[in-house]
Amino acid sequence: MLAVRGLSMTFGATRALVDVDLDLHEGEVHGIVGTNGAGKSTLIKIMSGVHHPTAGRMLIDGQEVNLPTPLDASRAGVQTVHQQIDQGVVRGMSAAENLVLDAYADGSMPLLTTRRDTRRRASSIAEAMELHVDLDAPVEWLSPSDRQQIIIARALARSPRVLVLDEPTSTLSTTESERLFETVRRLSAKGVAVIYISHSMGEIEQLCDRVTVLRDGQVRGAFRAPLDRAELVAAMLGELIALEARADAHDFSGAEEILAVDEVPALPDGQPVSLTVRRGEVVGLTGLIGAGKTELIEQLFGARPLRGGQLRLLGAPFQPGSPHDAVEAGVALVPEDRASLALIPEWTVTRNITLPFLRTYEWLAGLMHSSRESRTAARFVDDMAIRCAGCEALIGSLSGGNQQKVVVARWLQAEGQLLLLDEPFRGIDIGSRRVIVQHLREQHERAVLVASSDPEEILEVADRIVVMASGRIVGEMPASEATTTVLARLMAGAEEMATAGAAA
Amino acid sequence: MTQPAPATQPSAPAPTEEAGSRIHLDVRTLIYRYGLLVVLVGLIIFFAATQPAFGTWRNGIIIMQSVSIVAIVALGVTVSLAADGFDLSVGANVGFVVMLTTSVMVVHDFPAVLAVFVGLLAGAGIGVFNGLLIVKGRVPDLLATLGTMFLFLGLTLMMTSGQSVSQGMPIDDQGTPAPGKVWPEFLWLGRGEIFFDIRVSVVVMIIIFVVVWVFLEHTRWGRTIYAIGGNREAARLAGIRVDRMRVLAYVISGVLAATGGILLAARLGRGDVGAGEPFLLEAVAAALIGFAVLGANRPNAFGTFIGAVFVGVLINGLTMSGFPYYTQDFVKGALLVAALVMSFSTLFRGSRAT
Repeated sequence: MLAVRGLSMTFGATRALVDVDLDLHEGEVHGIVGTNGAGKSTLIKIMSGVHHPTAGRMLIDGQEVNLPTPLDASRAGVQTVHQQIDQGVVRGMSAAENLVLDAYADGSMPLLTTRRDTRRRASSIAEAMELHVDLDAPVEWLSPSDRQQIIIARALARSPRVLVLDEPTSTLSTTESERLFETVRRLSAKGVAVIYISHSMGEIEQLCDRVTVLRDGQVRGAFRAPLDRAELVAAMLGELIALEARADAHDFSGAEEILAVDEVPALPDGQPVSLTVRRGEVVGLTGLIGAGKTELIEQLFGARPLRGGQLRLLGAPFQPGSPHDAVEAGVALVPEDRASLALIPEWTVTRNITLPFLRTYEWLAGLMHSSRESRTAARFVDDMAIRCAGCEALIGSLSGGNQQKVVVARWLQAEGQLLLLDEPFRGIDIGSRRVIVQHLREQHERAVLVASSDPEEILEVADRIVVMASGRIVGEMPASEATTTVLARLMAGAEEMATAGAAA
Repeated sequence: MTQPAPATQPSAPAPTEEAGSRIHLDVRTLIYRYGLLVVLVGLIIFFAATQPAFGTWRNGIIIMQSVSIVAIVALGVTVSLAADGFDLSVGANVGFVVMLTTSVMVVHDFPAVLAVFVGLLAGAGIGVFNGLLIVKGRVPDLLATLGTMFLFLGLTLMMTSGQSVSQGMPIDDQGTPAPGKVWPEFLWLGRGEIFFDIRVSVVVMIIIFVVVWVFLEHTRWGRTIYAIGGNREAARLAGIRVDRMRVLAYVISGVLAATGGILLAARLGRGDVGAGEPFLLEAVAAALIGFAVLGANRPNAFGTFIGAVFVGVLINGLTMSGFPYYTQDFVKGALLVAALVMSFSTLFRGSRAT
């Protein structure tokens, strides 16, 4: 019914989509999966008229369609429900008013509208969707799930042929997700084609009739239910070079325990997880997006409150109430998103490096000893081969990889117990990655925990690997016994290895 | 070994062209960096040449004196701006402290030292209140300080039932005169001269300017405040106690506004209702003009100081040249707009790395 042919899209030098073909049948639920930057959102934005492809065509019922604006996409029968629920509802309006928003927008509503008239129209839309909410309630009083149902109901009121759901469960609880799945199934029974985008393999498996895998902007796999999760994940992650066991991966089981995580739930309604990191050891934490890696790490750093269980640092109970407490205790975090969470824009390389340890550079009553700062910065610029026009260059003038070296250097300048890194290699060049890996492996006095959704990166850096899926630890093994294939299978969450057996 | 040769070949004819564009860019950078200072010096020379009374020591002192209180308040505003905050309550704070200090002396018959102390304490208290409202109450800074602005405007009036405070004012229905007086030591703060006819308020301004400049540019706390202003979440994840520092920024802003209030009360010799009114806008304008000084493009103490002096020079010179008083606000507005365009427009940012 809907066909995409040879779709390509370039942004500057970046090729976001390359020659993508996609067929969509009436009444099917079609999953689209891929890692970050695979091109999922670009594809959706083209289908919903937000972006215009550099090349390629879209056909509906064999007729070529042109979608210059989102309104045209909607008229052609493609409705998109975006990930951010709150961008889809107007706060301050009632549920009923939100349901009939389109009628306000296209002028089919009379200028002076009675509340009763609005209610009447709204309840007919709600009934068609079997949606039961208090229509008079302000929309912000409703649960995220109800709000999302309102958005979907509104999209359906336009009787679309294609409904695109972009990561619809990202802000929903498990039971709320179930409600969404029922809605999706009901729609597909009515003949609406649903495009379903999600990072959760469980959801994809449960809902989708067919799945298209995108990687680096290209279609790298097409699957049909019943799905094999491991195959799906393998296609998402790409060529799995069965890396050989690294010679320099050590066994630290006899070393001093620096961090012990005891029964801490990674996700809000998830099972508790336990793990340890030892002195001198690099532990790799891997799992797909949404597996709970970031949530766990943020709890270890005091960036979010502990959900339960307890932490021990060097054997003593450790309960960081804030990142400040964590830093004081010798715990450091290289966060997931450099630009928004780590760097101070408009600052020099030097200042970005010394930021957490300003106290060590003061010479009198808070006055900074700036030449000492420069010396530290120069040492790291040298040591980590940070490519910049000197230590006084603005951080924004550095490439992503060199910026990341700065963020890592920031924590290496002072002694510490535990270094946490969340997706430290995302979007950085291979050279920078090597340098960072080398420095992490040389931290003999601290424990290092690296989280990444790319098993190859984890194999490159870790001594021991812990795999998470849906908030649980599903496997643990020394790096010398791991291969990308094994990791990918565990990450898919379809199976669980007996931890004790594998570690032996 | 053959690789480098072709690489250097095509770039050989380029330099002339490149050099040309570099000079062009440098002119824009020069304007961006020094434009405002050059205009300031130019204005001073122009006024000195056309108005004989302008270029005198006496007039220089008058200008500094006219901007001293605004500059002090503006330096406080600069600190809150540096932490990516905004303190709209400074004007109300000045007015409140004027009334508070004078009534402490006149109505309650306390000594001058206590009045100064109470004034500074009130300023710090207003800062703490603002800070907690913003940090703990999670009210956006502009809205929170707009609220406290009204709150303290109101308290200023309530303190004396809307009356101004002056020596011998009636303090009850029987017309009993107020027991206290405005102490000469207190008046000295506003009117006393230290050396070469330089008044106390000018000296206080210069001391505060130096202290704030050192604090923001050369101490760990200043660095921390700028880090919060640059990227609050990154600062938090670097282990900085963001909430504490933001409250501190508002406390500094409050204390400096109170200092301005004390100096103003000492100059006036009485507690005028509404005395603090013009200070919010004047102080904010000085701090914003400061963004354009030396191409800082951020709140900074030196810029704020120059911004305040610039306004003083301009108003003084224009008044001497016979410009009527009612054109003053327009002139200030034009200066502010020009300075903001210089800071924020990409027009003058050609060769900057970002």
